[in-house]
This record gives sequence, structure tokens and C-alpha cells, in this order.
Amino acid sequence: MIVLAAVPLLAGALLFCVARPLGRRLPPSLAVRLLTVLALSVALCSGLVLSVLAVLVGARLGPLPRMGNWSAAVLRRDSGLPVLAGLVACVVVAGCLTSAAVRAGRSLRDLAKARRLAQTLHPIDDALVLVEDDVPTAYAVAGSGGRVVVSTSMLRALSATERRVLIAHEQAHLRHSHHVYLHLVRLAAAANPLLRPTANAVAAGIERWADEEAAATVGDRRLAAHALANAALARAGHPGSGVALAIAESHVIERVQALLVAPVQRRHALASLVLLAATASWAAATAITIWANNIVQAAEAVYLRR
Amino acid sequence: MARKRSVQKESRARGALELEVISCLAAGGRPMTPAQVQEEIGGGIAYTTVMTTLSRLYAKRALERSPVGRAYEYSLIGGTQGARSNMAAHQMLRLLDEESDRAEVLARFVAELKPADEKLLATLIERAAPTPSARRRSGQPRTGS
Repeated sequence: MIVLAAVPLLAGALLFCVARPLGRRLPPSLAVRLLTVLALSVALCSGLVLSVLAVLVGARLGPLPRMGNWSAAVLRRDSGLPVLAGLVACVVVAGCLTSAAVRAGRSLRDLAKARRLAQTLHPIDDALVLVEDDVPTAYAVAGSGGRVVVSTSMLRALSATERRVLIAHEQAHLRHSHHVYLHLVRLAAAANPLLRPTANAVAAGIERWADEEAAATVGDRRLAAHALANAALARAGHPGSGVALAIAESHVIERVQALLVAPVQRRHALASLVLLAATASWAAATAITIWANNIVQAAEAVYLRR
Repeated sequence: MARKRSVQKESRARGALELEVISCLAAGGRPMTPAQVQEEIGGGIAYTTVMTTLSRLYAKRALERSPVGRAYEYSLIGGTQGARSNMAAHQMLRLLDEESDRAEVLARFVAELKPADEKLLATLIERAAPTPSARRRSGQPRTGS
């Protein structure tokens, strides 16, 4: 039974290895959704399993059996867990919870801050916010209806049709609430470091998703590729902020390439595999919880009979 | 049902055209007549459609206009001034973007490129024969600062 505890961890390890290629081999809208679901499942289930192990061992230690009225001997015999394993689980769970809590706090703070800032922007026609920045830039801010911010220098660097691609891209971010996926998957990655590549794959997938939507809006994927490339080249002369965006650098090339070849086909086998991994994680976590519950009940029964 | 969908599509297209006109005026940075806007946008959009869009935006107080000959010249209300007044929030959002690992401020359209990437990108789009509409406008882009 205890072997099942490894299932969510194995799913996490698998995801650690295949998140990036998986993200590229599925249509981006599907990849983002599936990877987010799997990442959340792995984070929650591995957390749950480790907590159960920690509780099973912790309940045997010190004065706890006397205080809680259960038999430490039954807990030890039925679970077969060495003390060390339980202590390790304890430390890992505490670390994961702390890290996730910090991340959640930061996300909430950023959300409030971005919302406040977005309210001070003056949109034209309730949609587009212009900024007079020499660095060609464009981004979407979630919250309070969402805003698309574009610098006039970016608009000048693009042709009229390319501007349509740019705006459609940013609007796709807002329409599909892409920031929610990012928040969720980053929370999962904070709780379980194995999920960091998945968080990056989701961040990249979100851009690809918006690219494809923009291409569909103008009805021309090659045009979308050109808009993207020209925007990147216009920006190239301006060394800007840049620290956090190291990953994004190579993404532009990948995104342009993806738009220049045929769209990725839906692969049902691959998608089913991801869903299967998520389901297996939940099944294993549930089985472990029921198993642990039975052991604790047995330990309580023995104590009462004595 | 089909009709409802077509109405939805129409209103979305209208919104997109309004955005296009706004970004066109913002890029131009000067007052433009409907004919100039039409020429700039291209894509076979009728003159009357452009004119309707401009007057709708004018009615919504997004644009101001002044008579020039028999036509009107349109420009964004408080265009540059508004763009400047957004700078403070923009700078703070940029800062937030860096700190928070791009969760709230959704991923910029593009980020910085390495010089090697620049060359690769240029080759990539050269190879994919550009469509006429995708060509960059003449006199573009603004480089260096």
C-alpha cells in the first residue's frame, strides 16, 4: 500500500522531464489547461501523501499516543514506516507549505497592486492605454476589466495589420484569463519544485495560445509571425529592464517558428496520458488516506481494549 | 441562433476596427482625415466604414476633430498628454512585472533579444516570403535612443 505514496511523486518527476516537449506537442490552449490541471494535481496529491506519512509517524512519538489515546505499537506495525521516513516527510511538508504560503501571499499582493495601478491608467475608448515610452513595449494587465498597454513607439514600429496582431494577442490574454493559469501553476511550483519546468512551459504556452488567437483574428499565421518578429526586432535596439525575462528571449524565436509551420494537431493519446497521470495521482492519494485512516482506527481500538 | 452569432461577430469586428483606427492615429501622432486613415489601414476597408468608425469614436469622446477643407481631421483627445500621464503607472507596472515573475502583468508581447537571436529572426522571416501587408511601413522603425 505504501508504494502508492510514490505515484504523485513519480507523476511529478515525469512532468519534470517532459513538461516542455509536452507543451510543444499539443495545441497551446489544450497544453496550458492540461499542464495546469496536472501540476495542481501533483502538488496537492504529493502534499497530501507526505502529510499522511508525517502524521502516521508523528503520532507514535513522545507523549502523543497517551494524549491521543491510540497505540503506538499498532501504528508502527501496521504502517511499517521507519521513524526517519516520517521525519523527512514532516520537514518536506513544512517546507512546501511555507513556500506555497509565501507565494500565495505575494500573488495576492501583486494582484491588488496591479489592480490599483491599472485603475490609474487612462484608456482610450475603454480599451487601449497608450504610453509615451521610447522602448517599444506592449502588455496586458489583468484586473478591473483588463487593460492593454502599448507604447506609441511600438505602434510606430509596426504596419497597420501587424498592429492588429499585437492588439489581438494582448486581448486574447485578457479574454482567457491567462493570469489565473500562471498564478495557479506558479503556486503549484512553489509547493513542489519538481513542477518548475511545468510552470515555465505554461508561461510559454500562454504566449503561444495568444499568438494563435491573434493569427486566427487576422486569418494569416505568417502575418502573425511577421508582426511578432518585427516587434522583437524593433525592441532589440533598446536594452530595457530585462532581468526576469531571460527565458522569454528564446521564446520569440520559437514562437515565430511555430507560426511559420502548420498548426500542431490535437493528439488524443498524449492528452489522455496527462489526464491519466492526474487521475492516478488522485487515486493514489485517496487510497493512502483511507489506508492511514484504517490504521489509526485500529490503533485507537487496541488502545481502548487495553 | 445563427443570426445572433452573426450580430456578435459584427459587433466584435466593429470593436476591432475602432481599436485599429485608434492605434493608427496613435502611431501617426498627428491629426488625420478619413482618407488618410483608410489608406494607412488598408485591407480593403470602405471609406464610408472608416468615416462611420471615426464619427462613432468622436461621438464617444475618444477623438476630437477640426474641419479641414470639406473633411474633418481627427486626432486622439489628449493623445500625447494622456500617454505621458500614463507613464508613472506604466513604470510601476514594469517594476512589478520584474519582481513578480510576470504573473500579473501578462507577458509582454516580446522581450529583449540576444544579438544572435536577432540575426536568426531576421533570416527566419526573410525566408518566409513576406506578404505585402506584412511589410513594415517606410520610414520605420525608430531605432536607438
